[in-house]
Amino acid sequence: MLTVILQQGINGIVMGGLYVLVALGLTLIYGVLVQINFAHADIVTLGAFAAYFIAQLLSGNYFLGIAVAILVGGVLGWLINAAIFAPLREQRSELLPLIATIGVSIMLQNAMLLLFGPIPYAFNTPYSSRVIHIGSLFFTLQNLLIILVSTATIALLYAFMKFTFLGKALRAVSQDRDTAALMGINPNSLIMLTFIIASALAGMSGALLGPVLVLTPFAGTSVIVKAFAIVIIGGFGNVEGTIIAGLIVGLIESYTTQFLDPGWIDIAVFALLLIMLAVRPTGLIAEKRAENV
Amino acid sequence: MSDLARTKQPGPTLNQRFFTLRRFCFLVAAIIIALLPLIFPSSYWRTNLIVCAINVLLAIGLDFVLGYTGQLNIGQSAFYGIGAYASTLLIIKLAVPFWVAFVLGVLISGMGGALLSLFAVRLRGHYLAIASLGFAVITYQILLNWISLTQGPLGIYAIAPAPPIALPWLPRIVFTNLTNLFYLIAGFALLVYFILDQLVRSPIGATLTAIREDDLSAASLGIDAPKWKAFAFAVSSAVAGAAGCFYASFVGTLVPDAFFITESFSMLAMVIVGGMGTLIGPVFGAILLTVLPEVLRGIGDLRLIVYGAAVTLVVLFMPGGLVQGARVIARRALRVTTKFEARP
Repeated sequence: MLTVILQQGINGIVMGGLYVLVALGLTLIYGVLVQINFAHADIVTLGAFAAYFIAQLLSGNYFLGIAVAILVGGVLGWLINAAIFAPLREQRSELLPLIATIGVSIMLQNAMLLLFGPIPYAFNTPYSSRVIHIGSLFFTLQNLLIILVSTATIALLYAFMKFTFLGKALRAVSQDRDTAALMGINPNSLIMLTFIIASALAGMSGALLGPVLVLTPFAGTSVIVKAFAIVIIGGFGNVEGTIIAGLIVGLIESYTTQFLDPGWIDIAVFALLLIMLAVRPTGLIAEKRAENV
Repeated sequence: MSDLARTKQPGPTLNQRFFTLRRFCFLVAAIIIALLPLIFPSSYWRTNLIVCAINVLLAIGLDFVLGYTGQLNIGQSAFYGIGAYASTLLIIKLAVPFWVAFVLGVLISGMGGALLSLFAVRLRGHYLAIASLGFAVITYQILLNWISLTQGPLGIYAIAPAPPIALPWLPRIVFTNLTNLFYLIAGFALLVYFILDQLVRSPIGATLTAIREDDLSAASLGIDAPKWKAFAFAVSSAVAGAAGCFYASFVGTLVPDAFFITESFSMLAMVIVGGMGTLIGPVFGAILLTVLPEVLRGIGDLRLIVYGAAVTLVVLFMPGGLVQGARVIARRALRVTTKFEARP
């Protein structure tokens, strides 16, 4: 029994780490712009496909695949900000960018459907078949890789936000865009930077998720829906809260699969979300923002 | 004194007031609805007409809570699904007559909306958006996983159409006939439009718009925002529930995938493309976005890409939707004619 709990704990942390990567992108964008990017899901999917094709074409070099996925994500983020969010910023609407990115998402999903077809791809990396045993626990090398890469990325991002000038500028913009602009920080270029970082993260998490998920053009949707829940549970725009919430959701997912039924995952996650919103709408770690609650 | 005198002037008589421009428009709309099945005789296009009518219902219902009350509800598919499944299950499992099940289905969806409004009381903007999305995800997953009740992904088959109506001195009206079914649903949509139109132009409409513009100021005027939000959510979701009941009896099969969250997104697109915060806009938005993919069938798989691009482009270049576009065109046309008339 303990083995099962520990084993599912490992699986939960693996998935949770990936969800954190996706959710961090959403939360960073929300932090600086107070907008939701629905096409984030499709950046994840495109990242997974990019990694898949690079890994297949270049005889299984998975790391090059991850690098290309990061690049693809960053470029898409740049495009989406330049084409959608920047022109719509003057409208000051919460809804219009959301709808516009839903349109982008429909476009990207169907473009992928046209290019890659609806049949799920089997994305096997050289690491997904190697199993490491520790006592009665086991995990694949791919899982280890996911944990290492996501931990390293989260740590790097955290350090970037806390200690570098750009990170500080970014936090300044998310606290108060106008005052930050008065201090000589160009909010536009920082918003662009945020989009590129967030989308590169999404591309990377796609490359890491690809071997774990059922890889179809719609794979990102199930991930993004959970990422939204994580972002809210953790508190929109809050990095620490997002990390904790991501791990909680990952664990809920693995324990629900083990003890109830995989069909109950989303119900459990969103029930937690709704309870959270009813009890503590500011999220696990309250951010000093008044506009939403 | 003169002001007082003016107010005492007799208003238009009842007879004059009866034939307003607005009522004339409703009459024209009714005539258009009556003529549409005659213009499109093929059963393919008549089926599309029915889908249009259902989508119009969904779009104006959503616009009531989204456009007029300003509540970011992106989970409307939940109420569509609740209405469809509640009425169908009542008919199949409890042998409730169709129209009783219809009313109960509408009521149950309305109560679901009131339940979601409990969150809207405390949450605003994107938080409410994600809460409503969560509500829709949970509803979808329950429909999918409560197999003993909904038969899950297998779906419910062979749902009977609405029972025939036998009016005295008239032939029986059967709803297996596409034309009659279209008249039923479109007539109901027109009725709902009429009621919503009356609502939004009444003091209730002003109350809802006040909540949309500023919660706090509305509260300071003594408006009980939680109560009115619950009202708006209940009305909006009841309309979606009615659309769901019609959908079930029209298609004859129910699978949870018909009420996936993407369905909410296409309703949102209809409202936005048409023009949020007007009632006529979403009607045209719904018709356009229902017909567009059908017209584009010729380009095959590209059609949904074009659909997505159309939604994005409308938001970018015409954020007020078709209504805004029509206004711009009308203003230009008017300017042209006045210029033309000004010339000797």
